[in-house]
Formats: sequence, structure tokens, C-alpha cells
Amino acid sequence: MNKAFLFIAFYLLFPVFLLANQTSEDELTEEKRIKVINYKWKSDRSTLSQADHSTFEILQQNFQTGPEVTEACITCHTKRDEEIMATSHWNWERTEMLEGKGEVPVGKKNILNNFCIGVSASEATCTRCHIGYGWKDKNFDFTAGKNIDCLVCHDNSGTYVKGKGMAGYPDPSVNLSYVAQNVGKPSKENCGVCHFWGGGGNNVKHGDLEVSLLDCTPDVDVHMTTEGENMDCVACHETQNHQMAGKLYALSSENKNRATCEQCHTNEPHTNQLLNQHNIRVACQTCHIPSYAKVNGTKMWWDWSTAGRLDENGGEIHESDADGNHNYLSIKGTFVYDDHVKPDYFWFNGIANHQLITDKINTIPVQMNSLDGSYADKGARQKTDSPSKIWPVKVHRGKQIYDTEYMTLIQPKLWSPEKGDSAYWLDFNWDEAAKAGMDYLGLPYSGSYGFVETEMYWPLNHMVAPKEQSLSCKDCHTRNNGRLASLSDFYLPGRDKSNVLDGIGIALVLFASLGALVHGSIRIFTTRSKV
Amino acid sequence: MKKVYIYSLFNRFWHWTQALLIFILIITGFEVHSTYNFMGYQTAVKLHNKTAWAFLVLIIFAIFWHLTTGEWRQYIPTTKLIKEQVRYYLTGIFKGAPHPTSKLVYNKFNPLQRMIYLGLKILVIPVQVISGFFYLYFNYPFGGFELDSLQWVAYIHTIGAFGLMAFIIAHMYLTTTGHKPLVALKAMVTGWEEMKDNELRVRMINDIEVALLKTKNQFKAGDDKGQILDEALLAAQSNLGVKTMLKDNRFRDALASSGVGYFCISKEGIYRDVNTAWINLYKYKSKDEIIGQHYKLSRTEEDFVELKKSVDRVLKGETLNHGEVKRICKDGTFGYHTLTISPVIINHEITGFEGFIIDTTDKRLAEKELLIKKIRIEEELKSKK
Repeated sequence: MNKAFLFIAFYLLFPVFLLANQTSEDELTEEKRIKVINYKWKSDRSTLSQADHSTFEILQQNFQTGPEVTEACITCHTKRDEEIMATSHWNWERTEMLEGKGEVPVGKKNILNNFCIGVSASEATCTRCHIGYGWKDKNFDFTAGKNIDCLVCHDNSGTYVKGKGMAGYPDPSVNLSYVAQNVGKPSKENCGVCHFWGGGGNNVKHGDLEVSLLDCTPDVDVHMTTEGENMDCVACHETQNHQMAGKLYALSSENKNRATCEQCHTNEPHTNQLLNQHNIRVACQTCHIPSYAKVNGTKMWWDWSTAGRLDENGGEIHESDADGNHNYLSIKGTFVYDDHVKPDYFWFNGIANHQLITDKINTIPVQMNSLDGSYADKGARQKTDSPSKIWPVKVHRGKQIYDTEYMTLIQPKLWSPEKGDSAYWLDFNWDEAAKAGMDYLGLPYSGSYGFVETEMYWPLNHMVAPKEQSLSCKDCHTRNNGRLASLSDFYLPGRDKSNVLDGIGIALVLFASLGALVHGSIRIFTTRSKV
Repeated sequence: MKKVYIYSLFNRFWHWTQALLIFILIITGFEVHSTYNFMGYQTAVKLHNKTAWAFLVLIIFAIFWHLTTGEWRQYIPTTKLIKEQVRYYLTGIFKGAPHPTSKLVYNKFNPLQRMIYLGLKILVIPVQVISGFFYLYFNYPFGGFELDSLQWVAYIHTIGAFGLMAFIIAHMYLTTTGHKPLVALKAMVTGWEEMKDNELRVRMINDIEVALLKTKNQFKAGDDKGQILDEALLAAQSNLGVKTMLKDNRFRDALASSGVGYFCISKEGIYRDVNTAWINLYKYKSKDEIIGQHYKLSRTEEDFVELKKSVDRVLKGETLNHGEVKRICKDGTFGYHTLTISPVIINHEITGFEGFIIDTTDKRLAEKELLIKKIRIEEELKSKK
């Protein structure tokens, strides 16, 4: 009997061993430092500063205009102007291959979005975010080096600002000499002035790029947090000859020149191989950016069709929601902001397409840009260098003006220095704004307009959460309402099942159980009755 | 208690480890299937994968064991008595009818068990292992191959799991259908199965048959002794019972020459006579070493107590077929045999008991198995004629 006892004890202890083994492995993982390559930890970096520009003779002058500063820069940084002129930061366009449309020059210059729609005919205000001076209309000279604004990116004094409606020229209050003597590597502030404030306000567009990143806790962004590595944008967006790594699929199309997590973290960053395997089909961002707009809200909905409502005195109306975000502006229409937003998820292979202003509208909502990819985009059918991955995306929806007869989107003229110039933001006349905008581009306008629903897709890359906050298995591997509930083109364990087969299985188990129960009961009954 | 040792240590280790691993696989597997939340998804996945590997290792050992011990023959499907078995479960069991197939005669499995277990071994488990491997490794490119979709692999793996679960429920219930509810479970733990009287009788005759047939095969056709053996065999097959057989001197001779040990013990328990086969089985050199000794000598204490009970009954006039017992040989090693005991009656008075022992030590089990098969085949041929 002792032997039998030992036998049973052995089997009772067996699972305990398995589980004990399990926990010790997890503890081990905890202690390991994050594995990175191509990156120097802050603690290992030298603190030596770069050249002190305030001592340079050529900068000891009383600069009156931006171009004067640029000319001074070029005396030492020779040929850098040529580098700049080859970048999309300067040209706001580059030629890219669009599926079904061939090679098309695309960029901020000509692509429409569903925020402020487009820059054409309103350049003087929009180009406050251009790295140049004087782009006020289509006659801007893109070959004049002195028109490059070096300071907007390289100002380290924190005092440089471009003027409102000044086509990129600095605000008259800026002390250009002081700024010129305090230049250096672009900091978060330099990039943020445009990339945080695009669309007319903080965090309006991206949702994952906003002022809070200048000073945030690790909860908001583990990379940029001032309590940690405090990384600058250019730490990841590495730059060679002023060509920056990374791109935004609101404007670009091809799968090239991307800034990736893998460039530092490798494609095997986890100690758990099962998680590393996920990276074959799941972008790092998907699990590690569980939500965006973690501090300030971001715009989720912009309805231009309600714009133009004025108060009894003919004055503009400004209405805000409880968080202080605008929800109505006479010049722009109705908005909905949201914060701590769960991303939408899409298959994406790095190729995007765009609704060009000349394209006919054939889907409603209009896909302003579309992300290519599917589960089946793998193996032999793979379109790019890797299979499609699941990506977290901010989807911005809205309603904007279109030509109801020609079925194309319309570029309205929005801005002008003065009233009576057909600019919608001053005259509130859609018909005239549409006519002026389309005339400016040399495109037809039928005279009848309406408002159509549009969607725009913004893959998320920033606001990476601490690993403890990243998604866990059950966020996706769950029966109902999981994060990936909408990606129905593949079998996901824990989410999917065959109702028929599960039904048969359950019936089988029930049949066995009931059979045992009934059979056993009859046995007990019949043997008792015999006794 | 009459017992027979039917499950070897490895057999039991394999059975219970397999049971445990399948249990863990089911618990973790259905968590991965999102049927419930229990230990956490990641833990469940990790444990499921580890357990799967452990299971694979066990399967490899088990295959080796089945092949080397000949146990695989237990799973050869047969239709013989299958109707009777079904009828027993449907009606007979409620009326207290005897099992149509004795576990001990048919060597562990009834025809339904054979079929179901074989199905598990060659269908369900391989399907689970193979689909599991596809699930685990070919969802992503592996060695240049990648599944187009996980869907059907997952479907097959899931239905297999349901099937296993249904099997386990039915299996656990059916273990209670022995002559007592817990005997099968006990046997699977200790290796020793309790026998009912009638089972024992059948087993005994069977063992005799085997022994006889084996001896017969050693003689040439037409041999006198061969003829005696034939008759003995016929007697055994006609199910006359051991008692009748033993009364006939011819059978004694036949049995003795077939390697069946004979013993005669006084009512005090002292060995009076043994035959050569007996001496060989107990590894003694001559009769002298054993005559005059008490039969306690060759028994463990535990066994002696049990045997004593049987002996007491025999001394009151019964003839008994005792189950398998363990013997301690002269050199201290163990052997196993079944034995039959009948009283020795002189002048209407019981003066002692005598009987035969038929060796069942592991080494010979395989041979015996073969012979049983032979007998069955012959029977089938006969019935066809």
C-alpha cells in the first residue's frame, strides 16, 4: 500500500514541478536589461557640447531677415543648402509609385487631407510650417538656397517663432542674431512646433505627437520621458545629409525609408520566443501603444458642413467641450476630440494609396489615404519585403466639400490676408471659396458642391507605453470585443472557433457524461433492488 | 484475495503520466480556446506547449515499450464477442450477468476496448500531435513552409480535444464496471487485479491449455504422449473444469511433462512431494532440499496469509484455483505462477493438499500470448469448417 501511496504522491507533485519551473523563468526575464543595438544609453553618452556658435565671427552681426542668417550659415556649412533642397521637408512632395495610378508627385503640396483640406491657395498661412521663407503662392522659388529656414529646426534658444500668415518668415519680434548664435541639433521643441501643432492645434492630427512629450512621465512615452532616456526625435529619425528616416503615410506611399523599432530593438527583443514570433505578423506598435492621446485630446471628427454659423452680430462663434477643446468654430465646423483613445487595427505592408484631387469619388466614406495589406499578404503573395503586419491606427473621420457633379474632392481657398478675396475663413462663402481654390489649381469646378464623409488613416508610432502596460494576450485572444475583433480575415486562437465543430464537441462530451450518469444510475438502482 | 499481476510498472507509469499530461493539455488547451480564464492565457500557452513536448517524449517511450514487450498485440481489433460485449453494457450489466469477456483471459482488453484504444492510438493522438505541430510551428514560416491559414488546423485540433475529453469521461465511468467499482482503478495503481472465482477458473484452464499445447508442439505427430496431450487439451477445451481433469492420472502425467509444476503438501503444511518442473521453477537442485520444509518458506508474509486462507478452504474439501502468486525462489529471486489446489483424500480423510503451478513469469508471458492467439485462430478455423 505504501508503494501505491508513493505512486499517487508522485503524480500529485508533477504539476507543481511544472508550475514552479514556470515562475522561475518569468523572474529571470524580469532581471534582464532591455536589449538594444545601434543605441547609446543616456548614461553612456558623453556630455561634451557641440561648437559654440556664439563665438563665430560671421554670426556677430545684426541680422534683419531670415535669408541673411541662412547666407551666413552657408558660408561655413557649404552645400548643405543643396542637401536641403533635395528633401521633402523642403519640396513638400516627392515622386512615388501609387498602385493603379503610376508614378505621381505627392506630398503636402498637393495631397488633400480631411483636416484643413490642403495648402493650395492658402499657402501664406500654411507655410508657417515650411522650412523656408516666402512660399506665399505657386511662384515660390524652390531653387533659392537663401530661402531655406535653417533656424526653425536648429534654434536651440527656444525664442524663434515664425509669423502668422507670413509665408514662413520669422515673427518680427524674434532676435535673429541671438537665435543664430544659439543653434545646434534639432530638439523635440524644433520638430514639435510643426509636428505637434499640425492641423491648427496641439495634437489635432497625429494623436501620438503633442506638446506633452516635451516633458512627460514614462507612462506617456518610455522613450521621450524626461524621467528616463529623454530621447530626441532625431534619436530614432536618424538623419544623413538632411534626409530624415521615417515617413508619414498620410502623405507618402512607398515602403521605404521607414524609421522602425527594430533598428534598435532588433526583431527578437523578447526572451519569450512566442512573443518574438508575433512580430512576424504584428507590429511592435500594436502591443506597445495600447492607447494614444494619453495627455491631451486629439481630433477624431471634423465636419466642415456645419461651418459658417455666425452669431447675431455676424461674429464668429467659438464653442468648447468640457476639456477645453473646440467643438465648434464658425470657420471650420464641428469637431469631436477624444483622449486615451484605443487605436483601430489594420493589416499594413508599408504601401499606402491616396485619393488625389483629380480622382473620382467611388467609395463613401472617401478614403483620403488607404493602407494596403491583408492576412494573406505573406509568403509567395507577399508584396513587400515582409508580410503585412497588424498596425495600430488613428482613424480620423469627417465631412468635407466635394463637387457633386464631377464627383471629385474640392480644394477650397481658405485663407487670405483680407476679406473679399473668396477666402472661406473670411467671407464664409463655400461656392466662391471652391471656385477660387479650383481655379488656382487649374482644375474644373461644376458650381455645385456638397459635403462627403471621409476617412484618413494615421499609423501610430509614438507614445510607447512601459512594458507593463503593453497589451496582454487576452486583449486580442478573446472571444468577444477584443482589439482585433474587426480583422476577420484570419483565424485567431482564442477569438475564433467553429460554432458547428464546437457544438459537436460539446454534444460529444455531454453525451459521454449523461451516458455515464444514466447508465450508472440504472446500475445502482438495479443492484440495490436485488439486494 | 485472489489476485493477478497484470500491469507492469512501466505500463502504469505510462498510463498515469499520459492521463496527467492529457488532463493538463485539456485544461490549458481550452483556456487557449477562450472557453474560460483560469491560469492566464500566456501561462496556459506556455504550459500547453511544454506539456505537448513531454507527451511526445512519453509517446516515443510507449511505442518502444509496446514493440519490445509485444503489448501492441493487445490492440489488434477483433469482432469476436463484440456483440456480447455491447449487449452486456446495454442490458446484462443491470441484471448482474457475468462479463462476456474476462479481462484476465482476453488479456486486459475486451473487444470494444481494443477498438477504442486502437482508435486513440492510431487516429486521435496522432492527429492531435500532428495538428499540434502544425499549429505551433507552421503558423509562421518554418523551414520554408507556412500554413495558408490556421483555421483548419485549429478546427481539427479542437475537435480532437473534445473527442479525448469525451473518451476520458466514458473511460473513467467504465472503470467502475468491474465486479467491484474500484477494482480496476486499484489494479491500475498497484498492478494487481482482483479475480472473481469464475474468472480464475477460466484463467486456470487457459493456462493449462497453453502449457499443454506448448508441450504438444515439442512432440512429433503420432507420439503417444502427444495423443495424451491432445485428449487433455480436448478436456480442457470442453471446459470440464480443473477438478475433473486432475482426477485423471493421464492428465497429471501430461501436465507434468508440459512443465507444469506439481506439489503435494501435508495438512501441517510440510512438502511431501514435488516434481522436476516444480524444482526447476523454484530453482532448487534436488527434491531433498525441499521435502520436509514448510511451504511458508517460499512465500512473502503477505502472500502467505492469503494463501493460508485458500489452503484452509481446501482442507475442508474444496478444490480451488488460486490466482497468481509470487514465489520466492531458492536464490531469492521472484517468479509468478497461477496455481490450483485440491485436497488429498486417503481413506475418506483429508491428509493434505496437492496441485499444479503454471508459471506466468513475465519472460514467458509473450510466449503464452502467442499461444493463446494460436488457439484462437484454430478455434476460428474450426468454427468456419
